[in-house]
Parts: sequence; structure tokens; C-alpha cells
Amino acid sequence: MKKTALIVVIFTLAAGLLGGGTVSSQEQSLVIGLLLPGPKNDAGYNQSFYDAVVEVERNIPGVKVIVAEYVDDAEAESTMETMIRQGAELILACGFAFQYPAISVAERHPDVKFMHPGGWEVTENFSNFFGTTQQHFYIMGVAAGLMTETNKIGFIGGMPLGFTLGNINGFHLGARSVNPEVTTHLMWTFSWGDTTKEAAAAQALLDQGIDVISMHLDSPIAVIQTIEAADAHTIGFMSFEAQKYAPQGWVTGLGLTWGDYFTESARAVIDGTWQAGFVRGGLAEGFLEIAPFGDGVPEEVRAAVFDAAEDFKNGLIEPFVGPIKDQKGKIRIAEGEMWGNDQMGDFDWLIEGIVGEPQ
Amino acid sequence: MPKNWLSALARYVFILTVALIAYAAVLLLAGKNPILAYIDTFDFTLSSWYGFSEVIVRMTPLLFTAIAVALPSRAGLINVGGEGQLYLGAWLATWGAITFTNLPASVFIPFLVLLGFIGGGVWAALAGFLRAKGYVNETITTLLMNYIAPLVVGYFVYGSWRSREPGASAFPQTAAFVQEARMPRFFQTRIHLGFFLALLILFIYWFVLEKTKWGLKIKGIGGNPEAAKRMGIEVNFYLIAVMFVAGGIAGLAGMSEVTALHGRLRAGFSPGYGFVGFLISWLAGGRPLGILAMSFVLAIVFSSGSLLQITQGVPFAAINVLMAIILFIVLMKPNLRRLMS
Amino acid sequence: MISFFAGLISGTIMYGAPLLYCTLGEVIGQRAGMVNLGLEGIMLVGAAAGFTVAAGTGNMWLGVLLAALAGAALNLVYAFLVVNRQANQLASGLTVMFLGTGLSAMIGRSYIGSGISGLARYQIPGVSAFSWVRSTMFSYDLLVYLVVPAAVFAWWGLFRTKWGLHLRVVGEDPSAAFAAGLKIPALQYQAQLANGFLAGLAGAHLSLAVARAWTEGMIGGRGFIAIALVIFSKWHPLRAIAGALLFGGSVTLQLQLQARGSSISPFLLNMIPYVLTLGVLMIWGGVRRFAAPAALGRVYSGEE
Repeated sequence: MKKTALIVVIFTLAAGLLGGGTVSSQEQSLVIGLLLPGPKNDAGYNQSFYDAVVEVERNIPGVKVIVAEYVDDAEAESTMETMIRQGAELILACGFAFQYPAISVAERHPDVKFMHPGGWEVTENFSNFFGTTQQHFYIMGVAAGLMTETNKIGFIGGMPLGFTLGNINGFHLGARSVNPEVTTHLMWTFSWGDTTKEAAAAQALLDQGIDVISMHLDSPIAVIQTIEAADAHTIGFMSFEAQKYAPQGWVTGLGLTWGDYFTESARAVIDGTWQAGFVRGGLAEGFLEIAPFGDGVPEEVRAAVFDAAEDFKNGLIEPFVGPIKDQKGKIRIAEGEMWGNDQMGDFDWLIEGIVGEPQ
Repeated sequence: MPKNWLSALARYVFILTVALIAYAAVLLLAGKNPILAYIDTFDFTLSSWYGFSEVIVRMTPLLFTAIAVALPSRAGLINVGGEGQLYLGAWLATWGAITFTNLPASVFIPFLVLLGFIGGGVWAALAGFLRAKGYVNETITTLLMNYIAPLVVGYFVYGSWRSREPGASAFPQTAAFVQEARMPRFFQTRIHLGFFLALLILFIYWFVLEKTKWGLKIKGIGGNPEAAKRMGIEVNFYLIAVMFVAGGIAGLAGMSEVTALHGRLRAGFSPGYGFVGFLISWLAGGRPLGILAMSFVLAIVFSSGSLLQITQGVPFAAINVLMAIILFIVLMKPNLRRLMS
Repeated sequence: MISFFAGLISGTIMYGAPLLYCTLGEVIGQRAGMVNLGLEGIMLVGAAAGFTVAAGTGNMWLGVLLAALAGAALNLVYAFLVVNRQANQLASGLTVMFLGTGLSAMIGRSYIGSGISGLARYQIPGVSAFSWVRSTMFSYDLLVYLVVPAAVFAWWGLFRTKWGLHLRVVGEDPSAAFAAGLKIPALQYQAQLANGFLAGLAGAHLSLAVARAWTEGMIGGRGFIAIALVIFSKWHPLRAIAGALLFGGSVTLQLQLQARGSSISPFLLNMIPYVLTLGVLMIWGGVRRFAAPAALGRVYSGEE
């Protein structure tokens, strides 16, 4: 027993010494720290960021990425500090709740740049970015409204945040634009990652006769596989990887594609031209992309989605233009009024025709 | 006395050494280099002032929740409900912080400490009451109540307490507390008043148990409740009181996390401090210095979780394996003297 | 309305099943005098191991089998500490919980994001004749169909066999068991192997049949719920069926209500099973009949 322990110690010592000798001599242009609240291969939220930094590594030689997965809110600050000690000069704090931890680290390290998806604060070295998913979910709604046979479409949300409510509202508006009969049924799991409950939520929607479902969760896998087993249709969100779980029921999806934007930002950090801002972009800016269609999607649906996407790129569609009424019939966006990017977090109501609670 | 001290020290050192060797084997199996992992852990936690201060920050809630388990254990009570009590302490303190917004800090902070204590205390006293009256065993009730407490917090945070700051996307959290309701921090770090409060309580815990009549009675109840009853000790009163105080202490963990670090209440803000507190109390055998030492060690373990995945690619969850190994070794009750000879 | 109740019942059965498997194991363990707080960890390892094997080989049932065996193997840690070292049961259980949490994350890590076909589901024959039953309702995998027979089997084993009698004597009065010449350690090991086996199976059911995915920590406290269920069912395998339906039902009720736009807070709904369990405990606590096995949690020699 003692002897084995000794051998283990010697062995590891040797391994350590050997490992230490093979430090790469390649010049590093930039170290990027990526914080994820979940696993990098979740086919959803986390993967969309991970795939993007892999793209940056490919695009700019010498870029090194440090990834931390499953970062708890309470661990976020010290994780960022560790990354900075590892040489990180650009931190991508990609958890919704990492905003304030990142800002306080940013105050301590004015020379390090921070980027955060979906928040609302901006400081000298803390930037905010996201896709205009609320508006673009309209296109997904067009697909759902045309695909449904029961005129009931579903949406599973993790947490009732303003941004998520906006996605649902956009989805519903799109569906109504092509199918005025549609009702959208909403389900909250009150967690971003309770897989079992997500599957149960999908099942409950299917049991009510809902035949097209989209979602805003960290990982869509459980939901998609439940939908697939019931021969219903999936509309994906976030990572294109999701499509492989729905060989039959996949319609289309809204992908978050940060590769170009991250590459650009990394170059700006290297060149010293990086600037903080409140950045939002859609299809035209390359922040979002429409996923490939599933095999069984009819030609007229493809055409309608394609047209809607073109209109978005050309700025011809603005979904949140009044008059828009909430579930109780109260006018929330008045005639002639329009809600833009800076209001997408302000939703605390749902549009009429949506079945579900806004909180 | 010093001899006792030495053997206790030897015991901790032995446990830690064996645990570190066993964990090194686990890391090796996972294809990681344990020596580098240990060097990094030391480097990032103890070799810099910032790293050390973060260990202290992590240690603070663990101290509270460990005392919350250790105190009742002296009276023969098993409190597995630190997590729930922590939530309720944070909950009541938050109520105070968002309701009375114009108190001066010198009144506000003690007031919130009191509320945090009462929140966790009443929650735990409920379990003490049911036990004292012979209805239900406190282990079961405190365990079940761990699941109710976060739901209570969730109900308020998603409901009437939810902040509706413009642009903030209706994130499920309360409004930010006013500055006067924030526990002060020190030395330009995140070390906050809660740490010193925890040390004070640890001292009081030792003093009451070892130097007062109350302590004698509590230990008497723990030793033999029937005999204690015959001697005229109000056993039922003590069972409830001990649970109240223990829950109150766990409540302070929640209260200080929320008022010093977050500045607002969020659903699901604790990564299981209550359960780790149980583990620490066990490892320390309820001894005050043991609690101090093991809280420190486990705070380092926690820190290593987030840093080793960055520097060595060890999954964060692997720290659970390390905690399991430490606990396993303690529970095996190795006979040191026999091993040495 | 009828489709609401149909959906509710259909979902309740599906989500009650894994809870029931786990509860049955813990009933057996507690009848032998041992509380095991490690179920959460065992279920996690079952879920991870089952999913890994199923995704790697494509054979779902091989996954189920290995998950159950992995659960039993992991629970040997608990059995060793409690039976051989007379360690505190709660702390030993927490050891297994931490160990299972960590190991499952390491086992399942490279299989996150793998897709599986999941256990095949078969609709209850004949129900499709009712117009309000949709094709997605009352369609279950074999493990769901087998869970009530498993409960009956556990009841038979505990109350109608000599083995069960001996096991219960160990849990009620270890000194009497010793005096009667029973092999206490062997019986306790058997109980814990069964417990680990069933908890591993329950975990695999969640990852292979319910969610059809593996994520870290996916058991989400269901291992602790099973312990509450044991108490709720007053240590009886058949009453555990009702308990599992109650807990499975509260989740499903909350989701079905949401799907229909109800405004009852899900947080309050989620509290119901726990509050109910506490209430039931208090009522039964007064009446001393059907109380816990007398030697529960105390089968250790005393010190520390």
C-alpha cells in the first residue's frame, strides 16, 4: 500500500517535470477567457459561444482560449480573476447573471476588456451584446404558424425574463401574421437546465394537442427528443447542433452566430481599438442566422420564411409596431408607436392569443 | 491538554494527507497532473493577498452553517437543514432591507442581523418544536424544509419583490439594497463584516458550551436526555431553544451573503453551503478550532474547483469527489496509533 | 377538461415511476434500519452510466442494466461505512451523495449532447378508443409498466418471506436479531445492494426514458424526495405507490395548469408535496402506530 503510494508520487512528479518542459514557444497574440454557466457541448446557449471562440482561434493565429464551464454565479468573480492571472485580456462572461460580477472585476482591471451577452449595463471596459432575437423570432413564428395543423403552437421558457417574454411575443406575432387562428401556449420550467422538467413540459404541451414547439432554454436536447418521439415539429433556437436530434420533426431555427463578431472584437483588442458599447445585431449583422430546413418542410413554408428573412435583412419588417394588445385586451404599444432594441427587456406582459403567465 | 491538541492536529494532517494522495490518484485516472493541480491551488489561493481574501470570503458562510450543525449536535440533535435556514435568514433580512430604506447604517445593519437570525431561527425552531413535542424527528423535518425554503424565496423573488428596473429585463431579483443596508467590506477586498461576526459566534459557541451552565445542560441533554429530565433540566425548552439559535446562525450566513456580497436577493443564491456546513461540522467533530480549520480547508477546496478547470481542465464537479474522499476517511475512523506503530 | 385530467394522469404515472423505484429501494434499506441520504448521488451515477452505455452501444437495456449495477456498486461504499465501520448513517449517506455527484459528472462529461433513441414506449392497449386520449398519452416504456409489480414484489419480499422478516427484525431490534443468530451484516448488505440497484435503475429511467438526455445534476433533488416519500408511505412499499403518484402528480399538475394558462404560483404548487409530507408526519407522529423502524438510524455503536 505504502509502496504504491510512493510510486504514484514519483510517477506524478516525473510527469510534472516532463510536462513543464514542453511549453509551446509560439507567440500568443491574445488570451481570451470564456465563462459558461453550463457545458460547452449542450447544443444550445453554451455551445453557441463555445463554437464562436473556436472560430476565433481558427481565424486569428496565436489566439488562446481558456474555457470555464458550469460557472456558478457565486464563482464568477474569482473565475475571471484566475483567467486574468492566466493572461486573459478579453473576457467573455457569457452567463446572464455574470453581468455585475464582471463589472466589479472590470473595475479592478481597467486594462482588460469584458463582453457580456444580453445585459443592459455598459462601462468603459465592459460591453454588452446580443442578437435581436425578439424581433427575429417573428420569422420562426411564420414557420410555426404555417406548419401547425391544430392551430396550437407551444413555447417552453426557462425563466420569465423580459427578453424571453419578448421572444415569445415575437414568435406569436409571426405566427398570427400568417395564421390568425393560432394560439401560442407557454410553459415555464423556472430553471435554465432542469432536463427532466423540460421533457415533462414538452410532454404536457404535446398532450394538449400542440404540434409545433420552440424553446428558450440552455439546452434544447430533452425538449427536442420528446417532440420527436411524438412526431411533432421543432423550431430550434441558439445552436445549429440542435438539428441533429430532430431528423424528422425539424422545421427551422434561429441560430446565434457570434463567430465573426468575436473575431472582430478580438482583433480590435489586439489592435487597441476596442470600444465598449451596447451592441445589438440581427441577420444583417451576422449575429443571427436562419437554420437549414428539415427534410419534410413544404416549399411554401420555406419560401415564406425566406421572404420574411429577406425583409428583415432589408429592414422592411418591424414586429413590435402598435397597436398591440396584451392578454387582457389593454393596449400596450399604441398606434403609431414602436418598441426598439432598447425596450426588448421591458416586456412584462404577453400579447393576446398567448396562453400562459408572464411571470 | 497540549497532548490532546497535538493528537487532534495529527489527526487532521493525516486525514488531509491521505485525502490528497487519494485525490491525486483520481486526477491521474482522469488524465490530469495532480502535482501541477496542487501547485496551482496553492499559487492561486494562498500565495497572493487577493487569493487569500477570496478564501476568507468563501469561508464565511461555511463557518456559520457549520456552527449551525455543531451546536445542536451537542444536544443530540441532527440539523440537516442549514441550507433552508440560510435561505430563510436571507429572506427575512431582505424584507427588512427593502421595507425600511431610510435607516442610518449604524441601526440598519444590526437590525438586519437580528432579522436574519430570527428568519433562520424560527424556521429551525419549528423543527425543534415538532421534535420536542414528540411528533417528528428533527432530521427528517429539517431535510424536508430545505426544499420548501428556496421555494419561499422564489415565490417572493419572482413575485411581489421582483424589481422592475427599466431595461433590466425583469431579472428575478429584488431591487438593490440601499447603501446603508450593505454590510461593510474591508481591506479593499470582498472580506466583509460577516466573517468577523462568524468568528465572534464561534467564540461564543465555545464559551457557552465550555464555560457556562447552559453548556453543561445542553451537553447533558445530548448525553442522556432521560437523565437530564430527571435532574430537572427543561429538556423540551432546550431542544427548541438550541434549534432556534442554530437556525439563527445559519440564517446569518444567508443574511451576510445577501447584504454584503449580492446587495439584493436572488432565487437559488446558495451553491449548497448548508450541506457543506454539515460536512465541516462532522469533520471537526464539533470542536471550535476544528470548525475554523476545516472551513478554511474546504474554502480552498471550493476555490480549487473553479480554478483547476481553467488551469488544468479538471471538471468543477470533481471537488465533490475530493469532499467524499475526505469524509470517507474520517468515517472509516482510522486508528492512528495502530497505523503509526 | 377531460383532456386536462387525461394529461394529468398520464404525466403523473410517467414521472411517478422513477420516484417509486427509488423509494422502494429506500424502504427496503430503512426497514433494515438504515437511512441513506446518498440516493441523489446514486441516481446521478445511474443516470450518467446508463446514458453513457446506451449512447455508446446503442443498446438502451444494456444501459439500464449497467446503471442498476453501477448504483449497487456505488452503494457498497455506504454499506461498508455503516455496516463494517459503524459510521454515522447520515454522514455516510452524504459521502455517497458527494461521490456520486462528482463521479457522474466525470463519467457523463463526454456524452453531454449525445442523442439516444430512448426506451421504446407502448401505449396502454385500448385507450386509443377514447377520442380524448391523444397519441402521446398513456404511452410508457416497460420500466413504467413494471413498477407496480416491482412494488408488489418488494411488499411480498418484505412481508411474506423469511428474508423480509429477518430484515425487519434487524431494523426493529438488532439485539434480538443477534440473539436469534441472524447474520446482520449480510442482511444489511443485501438491503443496501437492492437499494443501490433500484436507485441506479431510477436514475437510468430519468436519463434514458424521461429526458432522453444527460446533464450534470439532472436528478435535481429527486433522490431526497424519495426519502420524504419513504416517510410519507410509512415504510410500506404499497403505500409508496400512492406517495409517488402524489409527488409525480404535483409536477405534472403544475405543468398542465400552466399549459392551460392558470395563474396559481408554481412555487406554491411545488411546496404542496413537502408540506403534505410534513403534515402527514405530524399526524402520524402523534399516533405511534406505523412509526419508523425502531432501530432506524441507530445501528451504530455510539461514539461520535
